[in-house]
Amino acid sequence: MEGVHRMTGAAQVLDRPVARVAPWRRRGLRRAVTFYLLISPWLIGFVLLAAIPLVMAFLMSLSNYDGLNLEYVQFVGLENYLRAFTDPDAQHALGRTLLLMAVVVPFSLALQLALALLVNQRIRFTSLFRTIFYLPYVIPVVAAAWVWKIFVDPTGGLLNALLGVAGAAVNVRWLVEYPTVVLALLTIWGAAGGGMVVFLAGLQGIPAEYREAAMIDGANRLQVTRHITLPLLSPVIFFNLVTGIIATLQILVQPMLLAPGILGLSPGTVPPRDNYLYAVHAYLEIFVKQLFGYGSALLWLLFGVVLALTLVLFKTSRRWVFYGIEP
Amino acid sequence: MSRRRSTATDATLRYLPVLVAATAFALPLAWVVVTSLKKQSEFGSSLLPAAPQLANYQLALSLLDFMKFATNSLVLSSSYALIVVMVSALVGYGFARHRAPGRGRLFMLVLATLMVPNLVLFVPQFVIFAKLGLTNTYWPWILWALGGSPFAIFLFRQFFATFPRELDDAAEVDGAGPLRIFFQIYLPSAAPALAASAIFMFLWVWGDYLYPILLLNGDNTTLAVKMSSAYVDPRGNPLQTVTMAGVVLYVLPLIAFFAAANRFIVRGIVTTGLKG
Repeated sequence: MEGVHRMTGAAQVLDRPVARVAPWRRRGLRRAVTFYLLISPWLIGFVLLAAIPLVMAFLMSLSNYDGLNLEYVQFVGLENYLRAFTDPDAQHALGRTLLLMAVVVPFSLALQLALALLVNQRIRFTSLFRTIFYLPYVIPVVAAAWVWKIFVDPTGGLLNALLGVAGAAVNVRWLVEYPTVVLALLTIWGAAGGGMVVFLAGLQGIPAEYREAAMIDGANRLQVTRHITLPLLSPVIFFNLVTGIIATLQILVQPMLLAPGILGLSPGTVPPRDNYLYAVHAYLEIFVKQLFGYGSALLWLLFGVVLALTLVLFKTSRRWVFYGIEP
Repeated sequence: MSRRRSTATDATLRYLPVLVAATAFALPLAWVVVTSLKKQSEFGSSLLPAAPQLANYQLALSLLDFMKFATNSLVLSSSYALIVVMVSALVGYGFARHRAPGRGRLFMLVLATLMVPNLVLFVPQFVIFAKLGLTNTYWPWILWALGGSPFAIFLFRQFFATFPRELDDAAEVDGAGPLRIFFQIYLPSAAPALAASAIFMFLWVWGDYLYPILLLNGDNTTLAVKMSSAYVDPRGNPLQTVTMAGVVLYVLPLIAFFAAANRFIVRGIVTTGLKG
């Protein structure tokens, strides 16, 4: 990547003196037109499906829009934003979301890395193991919710049966008593394969000679992992950390799908209080209570939290992310 | 003798953790299959089915018009995947191989849209789609696809940026226009990246629950929405066993597909340069 940038940079420098020649300028213009024509689908899509909606979302967040009646719309200034800071539900939801993130993200990263190291060994059936770890990642969220609902079912679930064999309490109503545990398990289980594959790609980009050289110098496996593999993987760790945090902060449908109840769910199912996450709160305010204005303000605040956390991570990344060697 | 023992411990050390992890990962899935084979009366009373009840699968197909909603999902997912991958590849090619003022800033904009939470964009889009009468149609997905996916554009840009410059020069000398160069040179050599991103785009729509439940209703909705509520018997009691059979039928095509394409996907991710 680095090399490509340097090359294009050199090409720009070389182009410049020639730029005075008229045929080139015509060619340059033609090139520019070609570029804009090629990217036009995205550009038009960006304006219509991102730029205009973003402006609308911002205007909505400053209004009392209910999603239906444009004639009653009033500009309410920052009222929605101020309200978010005094809304006990929003605060509760933010707290639960940050807690879930603090538990799920570190655990997920460690597990994903461990799985990648495990399936990167020279062992048999690696492709079978990789498939098993990867499967939950490709399973649709609705199916994944069923998998866990049935697994932790008080009477028909395997978890209580296993606990019963181990001599523990047998009739735990997991989705009622420990909903966040189930949500965390579902999230970690579902995300593991995706992160593992990215780590695996990173591991396979590390030349074997580095590890072999350290082994010859007398380092043991643990030392090689700690001092060779981990630093070289730090860009990948960083990538998985950032994407993991962004994804966890936006968790929305899983808590609603995991709401206790045997008949599945309807849109607008309110999850148990413990699983009442921030995005769920915004969703319910908008699509159930029709508070498009207030809900939009909540979502902009979520965006702000996502941006702030990402920026902080990028700032600290200079200290621990190692970009020294081109893999 | 001691050497032999050490290889035995070594093998245990290598296999035990991965076996334990694989069991933990597969157990919840296996339980779905086990449950799907039970009689409803065995649910909650016996651990394993006395005899596998394949009739649950027939019920899962017939109690609701399973094939109709599967077809809806298939049509929606594959048309979205096909269009979005072609558009994203074209746009990625533009960003990678054609220079123009503003290119760098526009590419930053592509990456910036990746940061915006989906719901922030979706809520106003929902209002627009509703005002234009596009709810309850597949048009929102087609429009999303026509605009390309920032993630896929990023992947294709990275992928095409590694191609040698001489390739374009040679083709241009031969008189090929940018579109012909794209379709005849770049697209064919991007097969792994195309396949990998098409799979993910397909999967996203096949598995998505939120957008179909908000944008579609009734007959044209997807399997994901239908599978979110349990199968019930005529008196309204839930049939967990049949529901699990439905879940297996909903997921099985994806599993078979991924088991076959496993190595290919890992390679696709490596070649598309995710590791940056």
